Amino acid sequence: MRNLLKTAAGLALAFSLGAPAIAQDTLTIGLLVPTTGSEATYGQDMANAANLAIAEINAAGGVLGKQLASTVGDDACDAQQAVNAASKLASSGVVGIVGGYCSGATLPTLKIFGDAKLPMIIPAANSTKLIPENPGNVFMVNSTGNDQVAKAIEYFTAKNIKSIAIVNQGDAYSQDLADLTRTNWEAAGNTVTKFETTNKGEQDYSSVVTSIKSGNPDAVFWTAYYADGGLLIRQLREQGYQGLIAVGDGSNSPELFKIAGPAAEGVIGFSNPTAEFLPDAKTFAENYQKAYGTAPGPYSTLTYDATKLLAWAFTTAGSTDFDAVVATLQGANFTDTISGPISFTPEKTLARSNFVVLEGKGGAWTLPQ
Amino acid sequence: MPDTPIRPSAWGGLTTILDTPLKRQVAIAVILMAMIVAPLLFGQYATVILTNALLYVVLALGLNIVVGYAGLLDLGFAAFFAVGAYTVGIATLNFGLNFWLALPLAVFFAIIAGIIIGTPTLRLRSDYLAIVTLGFGEIVRLAARNLRETGGASGLSGIESPWLFGWHISTPLDFYYVFCVLAIIAVVVSVRLANSRLGRAWLYVRHDEDAAEAMGIDRVKVKLAAYVVGAVYGAIGGAFFAANLGAISPNSFSFQQSVLILMAVILGGMGKIPGVILGAFIVILAPELLRDFGDLRLFIFAVGLLLIMLFRPSGIWPAKSRTGARR
Repeated sequence: MRNLLKTAAGLALAFSLGAPAIAQDTLTIGLLVPTTGSEATYGQDMANAANLAIAEINAAGGVLGKQLASTVGDDACDAQQAVNAASKLASSGVVGIVGGYCSGATLPTLKIFGDAKLPMIIPAANSTKLIPENPGNVFMVNSTGNDQVAKAIEYFTAKNIKSIAIVNQGDAYSQDLADLTRTNWEAAGNTVTKFETTNKGEQDYSSVVTSIKSGNPDAVFWTAYYADGGLLIRQLREQGYQGLIAVGDGSNSPELFKIAGPAAEGVIGFSNPTAEFLPDAKTFAENYQKAYGTAPGPYSTLTYDATKLLAWAFTTAGSTDFDAVVATLQGANFTDTISGPISFTPEKTLARSNFVVLEGKGGAWTLPQ
Repeated sequence: MPDTPIRPSAWGGLTTILDTPLKRQVAIAVILMAMIVAPLLFGQYATVILTNALLYVVLALGLNIVVGYAGLLDLGFAAFFAVGAYTVGIATLNFGLNFWLALPLAVFFAIIAGIIIGTPTLRLRSDYLAIVTLGFGEIVRLAARNLRETGGASGLSGIESPWLFGWHISTPLDFYYVFCVLAIIAVVVSVRLANSRLGRAWLYVRHDEDAAEAMGIDRVKVKLAAYVVGAVYGAIGGAFFAANLGAISPNSFSFQQSVLILMAVILGGMGKIPGVILGAFIVILAPELLRDFGDLRLFIFAVGLLLIMLFRPSGIWPAKSRTGARR
């Protein structure tokens, strides 16, 4: 009987997939985050932060007279897996979604949640490619690449910088940021002396450094992550580059200083509001530490806020009705946050950029005075 | 494990039952019925997962022609998958082509890619061949990651879902049935190929290249044909994959993807069509069924794979010997 096993497997699958009945007295929020794969740390961190928010909301009486609960869909930072996880969440009776870390994996899930009439709040993924794909149910509470570029250009202009070299790593995030910076920087009448793409994990940046130095730019902007950025910064300084060095929000880790050493002194970083630089986040950081035994990671504050925002939208709308909740979110001016007030543009992105400028001083990131 | 006769074990008994030709017609009818009603019974999540499994059936059957029939180890099969997906993406987005016009184009480019990788590697055997195909897979992925036309690392998004005679193939259910049809076509073509003159030639080449050549089989042509047919399977799978997801990025065509497809072929049973189908379903469904285990999911999956390979080293449902003497 050929293919018998196939059928058997299919049936077994299908039966086990029958949506687990979710008790009527709870409202479940779906968390779409990577909990396996290379980005698992960030995903786990986001899930923890959301659960912390849910615990606090429940302690304060829940939402619409019901307790909140969460269920995690692991997208593994992969488009296919994300589609699977999103479909599972969409058919498991959740009332809304918080999540989306990797932009590429988040992109194909928007339509799934849109078709299922589920409001979604994205705390981390911030590629500008998400904006045109939004079916109308998706709100982004992380500033997009556009906001970071605006902040960077504002800073460079204030420092009287005329020419920059841009270095990225060829992945979706750093390339997006680099391209956007180049376009806007040139549109503002300035020059980009060099536009370089390095390979992840490279050890020797001498050719890139030589190329950068030959253009003699006022500043170098590294748009990728800290591990390789640290090495580049060190080699730039070792070979005598004197200008400003700036890094994007992928490099705002304290690890940068361990890798770059004293060369990172005076480096400028553009960053999302992370817990350590937010005065209101002190209690959050303490509670997080107490609950999970580690310090909150980079996207935990935004995920915490996103979860609270969604709960607030249910309460304010008076129901979990899709249209009412989306309308409430669209008109939101939500201030019960730790990363700053949240309101949305007509495109459903954050109305106000929440990027901050940091400076490397004494081996740590500080807010410049 | 060459030349070991089938022992009358419990497994052997199972294989015999599964291979009984008398019950085939009934089984096929039951499976077709099950395929039609499954998504209606089990909801959207199951539909999406089954669609994904059917995609892997197509891909694994394509790789099976290269690995299972012709015996050429290919570690870069995702490259053909990528060629199909990116051709459709670029043709529809940048040149405004209709999906159905882009599809033959994808097949055309896949054939070219099959010839490009096939021609220089034909002189190589076993390990060397595997390394070259691995390199080819990485070249395609890195090219996709760095070219402007392919959207770089963030890939392409907003690929329109196709229309077919006034039917807009857009919901997961629509795509499920489309992939059902693709999988059925893939199975039929595979069966016909296996029983064709070319299929016999592949078998001969796989067992002994020199003897095959001495018997008048054009080794180069036959192997190239295997690459090209496999590439076409990959490209068609990729084209529909792109249309289904609407967005593609280089991450989807990594070395891991090639390994996953190869795993489906080896796990199920190289060269055996129902075995390969079963393998494809296992590599897709098992991790999904284990979703409720959370962190342990991939660990349990890996242990399961190891156990299968320990107890069924030639796959769950391996090919029977055609000659009787060899296995």
